[in-house]
Amino acid sequence: MYLIDFILNGVVRRAIYGAIVLVRTGLGVWFKCLLVLVLGVSSCLAQESVPKNIVSLSLCTDQLLLMLVPRQHIASVTRGAIDPHLSYMAAAADGLVLNSGGIEEVLPLKPDLIVGSAFASRDAVRFLRHLGYPVKLIGLPQSIAEIREMVLNFGAWVGYHSGAKQMVKKMDEQLAHLDKQHQGIKKTALIYSPNGYTMGSGTLENTMLKVAGFDNLAIEMGVVGFEQITLERLVAAQPDFLFIEKHVDNPNSLASHYVSHPVLNKMPLTQALEFIPSRLRACAGPMVVEAIESLVGKRNE
Amino acid sequence: MNSYPRVLGLLFLAVMGSFFADICVGPVTLQWANIWAAMVDNKASLDALILFEIRLPRAFLAMLVGATLGISGAALQGLLRNPLAESGVIGVSNCAALGAVLVFYFGMTQWSWFVLPLAGLVGALVSVVMIFLLAGRSGSTVTLILAGIAINTLAGALMAMALNFAPNPYAMQEIVFWLLGSVANRSMNEVLITVPFITVGWVLILSCGRFLNALTLGEETTKSLGFNVRHLRWRLVIGVVACVGAAVSVSGNIGFIGLVIPHLLRPWVRHDPQRLLAVSALGGAVLLLLSDVAVQLLSSGGELKLGVITSLVGGPFFLYLILKNRNVWS
Repeated sequence: MYLIDFILNGVVRRAIYGAIVLVRTGLGVWFKCLLVLVLGVSSCLAQESVPKNIVSLSLCTDQLLLMLVPRQHIASVTRGAIDPHLSYMAAAADGLVLNSGGIEEVLPLKPDLIVGSAFASRDAVRFLRHLGYPVKLIGLPQSIAEIREMVLNFGAWVGYHSGAKQMVKKMDEQLAHLDKQHQGIKKTALIYSPNGYTMGSGTLENTMLKVAGFDNLAIEMGVVGFEQITLERLVAAQPDFLFIEKHVDNPNSLASHYVSHPVLNKMPLTQALEFIPSRLRACAGPMVVEAIESLVGKRNE
Repeated sequence: MNSYPRVLGLLFLAVMGSFFADICVGPVTLQWANIWAAMVDNKASLDALILFEIRLPRAFLAMLVGATLGISGAALQGLLRNPLAESGVIGVSNCAALGAVLVFYFGMTQWSWFVLPLAGLVGALVSVVMIFLLAGRSGSTVTLILAGIAINTLAGALMAMALNFAPNPYAMQEIVFWLLGSVANRSMNEVLITVPFITVGWVLILSCGRFLNALTLGEETTKSLGFNVRHLRWRLVIGVVACVGAAVSVSGNIGFIGLVIPHLLRPWVRHDPQRLLAVSALGGAVLLLLSDVAVQLLSSGGELKLGVITSLVGGPFFLYLILKNRNVWS
């Protein structure tokens, strides 16, 4: 029953309407062939039961959705998705229904799949599951292997496994190409963010540095995850590269005073550079490769 | 026994000592030989960089802010003839912080260097005027404290609201800085923008010393002694708001120094309000420098705010004052 319902309501019905219009305008024989083809493809998709009304509850799933799934199947993405500072897919998200992770925003959209991050909107997720909605959550991948796995899983959930496979393949090719570019002496690096935070082991940023051929000094300092380090320890560490994360849209905070301290540009053996933009590292995904490319570029300058 | 020059000299040595202690403590152990070599041979040295760019601005700021809070406490206690008058207690610091928050988070500090300290000054001025209107010259401690509570609460709430609406994701968490104060991670820029305002404030306050002495005899007597009370009162108020406003605009609201220090030092100068001004400045500097040493020894990451330490010292002292003077005030 479900299958028939699906076929009638879905792509096929749209295709048939389109066909009738086209046949009337007289594209005759050619179109009949196309019609057969469309029917074939859509019945294939129907067997995989592709969700066609997907709601995303986190910035990271927003971006994966926008990369893998046709726009008409995306019911809603989060508000962050259209922020060009945070979202790699900001342009593609323009015009979609936006949510802030609230249950009341999600229910009227009648989603047939809800995707989100295991670390965002937990209450909404618990409630939506309780109501019987299918909810799929991605984790926080921190290595390239974990990103690969997440993309493939996500592709399977949303019914575009082959697209996901292609995406992973492309990532691997680009990374293999990068590997050849940065062979040579290891350079040391440290990241410094607003409020004096640095990124150590178990972070995506650490993976990026490692893959780009840097030794992250935060690891030697014993930093796990995100930790504050004092300005003095940073100066004393003497990294070859200091990657400073600036807060782009608003410098007026004490947090950003940390990253604009004059001492950062006076360290004799250190090159202080701006870190890669947030949209390339706010989430794990194929954009990470672009972030690594940018780091390799800074290293080879 | 304690002659005035000797007290001043002693306190000055204490300032030097605590200043040195403040630049000695920190997460990195400095090699003084390297710094000396860097200064003599003009060589690049990490130790010199840490000393000059990180520790000296911090210690200078602690010294300037501590001295300001000490001298302004002594001035306000003399002016209002009230032992509990202090910029933190009567709401001057919070209002100065409110002024600074408004210009800082809404991007106005980029207009010019003096916008931030000036905004602190204006905020402080508003609160002093309100204190005068609410508590007047009656000298009633209860009225003064109640007015202070009202102004503090209002300024705190407005500050939280301003931070909430500020176009910045970090703004709201930074309320801790503005309410408790800190001199960590500041650069010479912050020292330089406050120095002109603080200097003017100190000079104005110190020039009112004889007036404060006369005020102990009552306002009418002061007038009959030939003082222009109206003029001098304004001069003192402008002096206090200039230095407190500028200090708070870069360090946040560091409480209780202006309360504790004048009380502790008053016997040293035989309850002479004029002499109390200078010794309170030196004493305030010592207390804040030592508090900053304590902050760094207790938490290397600098998470602990300076106001926590000064309040830990000042809070119990405040209670002691209330208990001691309970009979006098009721």
